[in-house]
Amino acid sequence: MNRRRSLVLILAAASGFAADPLPSAESVLDRYIQVTGGKQAYQSRKTEIAHGTLEYTSLGIKGTITRWAADPDKYYASLEIQGLGNVEMGVNGGVAWENSALLGPRIKTGVERSEAIREGNMNSTLNWRKLYPKVENAGIETVDDEECYKIVMTPAEGQPVVGYYQKKSGLQVKMTTVSSTQMGDIPVELIASDYKDFGGILEPAKVIQKAGPQEFSITLERVEVNPAIPPERFDLPAEVRKLADQAAK
Amino acid sequence: MSRRLILLFAAALAASGQASRIDVDAFEKVWTTIRDKHWQAKPGGLDWQAIHDEYRPRLEKAASHDEARAVMQEMLGRLNQSHFAIIPGAIYSVLNDEAGGPGVTGIDVRVLDGQAVVTSVDPGSSAEKQGVRPGWVIERAGGKELKPIIEQARSNPAIHELQLTRAVLARLSGPIGGMLDLDFLDGAGKSAPLRLSLSLPRGALSAFGNLPPQHVWYESRTIGSTAYVRFNLFLDLPRVMASFQQTVENCKTCDGLIIDLRGNPGGIGGMAMGMAGFLVNKPNQRLGTMYMRDATLNFVVNPRTEVFSRPVAILVDGCSASTSEIFAGGLKDLGRARVFGTKTAAAALPSAFERLSNGDGFQYAVANYVSEGGQPLEGLGVTPDVEVKLTRTALLAGRDPVVDAALNWIETDSTRRNAQ
Repeated sequence: MNRRRSLVLILAAASGFAADPLPSAESVLDRYIQVTGGKQAYQSRKTEIAHGTLEYTSLGIKGTITRWAADPDKYYASLEIQGLGNVEMGVNGGVAWENSALLGPRIKTGVERSEAIREGNMNSTLNWRKLYPKVENAGIETVDDEECYKIVMTPAEGQPVVGYYQKKSGLQVKMTTVSSTQMGDIPVELIASDYKDFGGILEPAKVIQKAGPQEFSITLERVEVNPAIPPERFDLPAEVRKLADQAAK
Repeated sequence: MSRRLILLFAAALAASGQASRIDVDAFEKVWTTIRDKHWQAKPGGLDWQAIHDEYRPRLEKAASHDEARAVMQEMLGRLNQSHFAIIPGAIYSVLNDEAGGPGVTGIDVRVLDGQAVVTSVDPGSSAEKQGVRPGWVIERAGGKELKPIIEQARSNPAIHELQLTRAVLARLSGPIGGMLDLDFLDGAGKSAPLRLSLSLPRGALSAFGNLPPQHVWYESRTIGSTAYVRFNLFLDLPRVMASFQQTVENCKTCDGLIIDLRGNPGGIGGMAMGMAGFLVNKPNQRLGTMYMRDATLNFVVNPRTEVFSRPVAILVDGCSASTSEIFAGGLKDLGRARVFGTKTAAAALPSAFERLSNGDGFQYAVANYVSEGGQPLEGLGVTPDVEVKLTRTALLAGRDPVVDAALNWIETDSTRRNAQ
């Protein structure tokens, strides 16, 4: 009995010595920058226009999405969804907003605003140190039969974002968080795949997003790199501007 | 031919004197669906595995198909929640038999006191051209009596007014361009047999995801100094929302607004919040909350830049369901609208109907929705502030007592405001 127990202890100790030490979260995140194009590629990108499609598979609803972004922190996105009409959202000058035929205009506040502003940071991949004051490597988990480092990134405001980075490739294949929305906190899971080179940076061409009861996929089709974008592209729509002015009074 | 053989085979199994394999399969389907899709991880607060272990042996001993159904119904009853039901296959036959086609007569009906009564006739329809009037009773459609269908459906508590009305309307439909013989009782109580042509339903065809394309109409008019709007579905979002916005903008100086949701079975849930934004001026108000297994969604209203501030009356009946109930119930609870009519369908949830392997139907809800006043809408519906029933007598007199009650309230409020 004792011999058996000793054997288990020896094996456990041996396995402890044999295991690779976990890399730091910082090195995993920096490696992601490296394998997707390198710091230089990200730094040289000042503006972009991304074009894609989205599909709510179970509902049979399709749409298009176009997103304009400018370094460091402006974005405007327009979604045209069959049967729902246009949904637009953006961040400019610290104002995060949304406007749709369905729900009308609104200004985001609190945690929801913070999340939108992080999302509006054009080079959020490169700027993770600014956006997430605390990062840690929580261990190894398997995603689709591939070992991944589980990196927990905690922002100054809002829920932690957990990224899963493949041990082998360094690519991020999954992300989970709890998103703060006007309708409440909603668990979100993103599955990223089909990495492709879009103007010198590898990006997942397909992302499946599960948000609460809804699941939809986004397909990135093309990215215009450093196009000239007139500044007024990021202006708040008139109805949103009116709300912002009312809120400022 | 093969379909008939399958039916005969199923009937033989049902008559065999003990629980058949298909009843056992149906039981497992029902139990598993609740386990996987109920909004609570412990459905109804119960140990669902223990429920399985208690009821499965009882089901296996069931001596007939009816007994097996009773066992399943009792198991669902343990949830003590509405909209979980086993619907006998025979009821489906009653509801679906002879369901026509896309062509309609232009007649809307409600079952009033056990009779299919015409409540409206579309302008320009074949029915209008032939003189059909609200208040007439439809006794037979295509030569078949409607009364037995109504009686059978009303005898089952799982069949609510919305389904019954749809079953009757299905018998008033058929292929576009076809003809339908209808036997009416007119206003004088005389028999009036008419042959009506079937044409496209009113409104514009609108598609939304996997839903079959449906005709959506929106009408707006003024009655005195009150604006009146009615639309048949919360669909065709861009057009209906824009039309509603236009109505509100045109109605700035109206005494009030009547939103008629009678017969509106719902559609896109978010439209309830979107429309409420034109009527509620305080931020962060909620119509209610939807509880699902992994998320809780607050139905928050965003006040628009221009909000209608005068009295709002919402008209409902037993065919107002889902989004209509969320909208009416929420605005009632917020004290923003007064609701007139009869109790709504109590079907505010994404509850699904599936056919089981034994031919029965299975209804189950996947979420719970609680209106802002704290009352679940599912199973309870929206109880109007002022209950007003449609009657055949009023319809024959060219009156709509529900609209009249709403108008009286708005006029009284306006008079009171003017006096102050």
